[in-house]
Amino acid sequence: MRLFPSLLYIVSGALTLLVSGHSLADGRVVDKVYHPYVQALERSIEYRYFYQRQADHPDNNTMGQKLGYGFSVAERAALEIYLIADRVSPEDYKLSGYELELRWMLTEQGQYSADWGMLFELERQNNQDNYEFTTGLLMEKEFGPTSLTLNALAVYEWGKTLNSEWEAEFRAQYRYRWRPAIQPAIELYVGENYKGAGPSLMGVHKFDKQKQLKWELAVIMAIDNDTVDRTLRFALEYEF
Amino acid sequence: MPWQHITLMSLALPVLAEPMLFELQIKDHLFHPSVLYVPAGEKIKLLVLNQDPSPEEFESFSLNREKVILGNSKATLFIGPLQPGRYQFFGEYNPDSAQGVLIALPEAQWQQHRADNAN
Repeated sequence: MRLFPSLLYIVSGALTLLVSGHSLADGRVVDKVYHPYVQALERSIEYRYFYQRQADHPDNNTMGQKLGYGFSVAERAALEIYLIADRVSPEDYKLSGYELELRWMLTEQGQYSADWGMLFELERQNNQDNYEFTTGLLMEKEFGPTSLTLNALAVYEWGKTLNSEWEAEFRAQYRYRWRPAIQPAIELYVGENYKGAGPSLMGVHKFDKQKQLKWELAVIMAIDNDTVDRTLRFALEYEF
Repeated sequence: MPWQHITLMSLALPVLAEPMLFELQIKDHLFHPSVLYVPAGEKIKLLVLNQDPSPEEFESFSLNREKVILGNSKATLFIGPLQPGRYQFFGEYNPDSAQGVLIALPEAQWQQHRADNAN
């Protein structure tokens, strides 16, 4: 297991160097910041929403929704299947694709100075024969009552109406674990023509035994002139 | 070198010291012991043995840990270093019965606790 940190350092370094360079991605950047943990026997239904706003910006009024069903397939691996719906102006709102996601927990929480996982996603765009494969590292590090989560992702796109290309994305979240129901955070997103940051709030409410509802809300604001001014991100996840 | 690179390099350094081992058992949907004393200020390794045939989940918001332990199975958790204090934990599958508290003692109290238990 001690090989992991060195290997992960090399891979994460390469990914973060990609992120720091020029990026040409076509996908959406503001999405969930993934934690590197998987629980055995977990099952969940998840809903995600995002909306972007800035008059005169090409991404103005863009909206996306995802509905997913996830379940663990091993003690350290979980699958999730999503339906994706988008509205990209001037087109109408429509079911735009499907996605299969695998999360793999690489290290036990707290075992090393940081916790590590990997993400693999394959998305197919409906009726266009376009695909997107995403992979990368998920990292989380505790600092007392706060947690820093980083996602360094590489994305490959190909298909009939897409130029085949590699892209990079970087997501970060710094969260204060104040109380289960209310955990304030700040988030940062860097990707194709997008650099944004802003506050977020999340929490979990337990109903009975392993039944619980997790929620996340974030308002991400542009930190450069090319990025759409405001992005609203919202997610609900029911675990059972 | 980008700042992300430097940050990830520092976060990837392994911890080489072997943490102190503690053991917690689950039997009849109860934690044994239900009060567990550990030293503050150092990482510990907690071996949780589930002697029930059904699964249980060790959960603690204050410890920032959750871990499913399958029936008649065991799991290892790494906790801390903790500030001195009390940290509640419970079994998510049987929250009414499976409850416990981990108490992190400052150095002097921890040494006293060990001496008392050695006698």
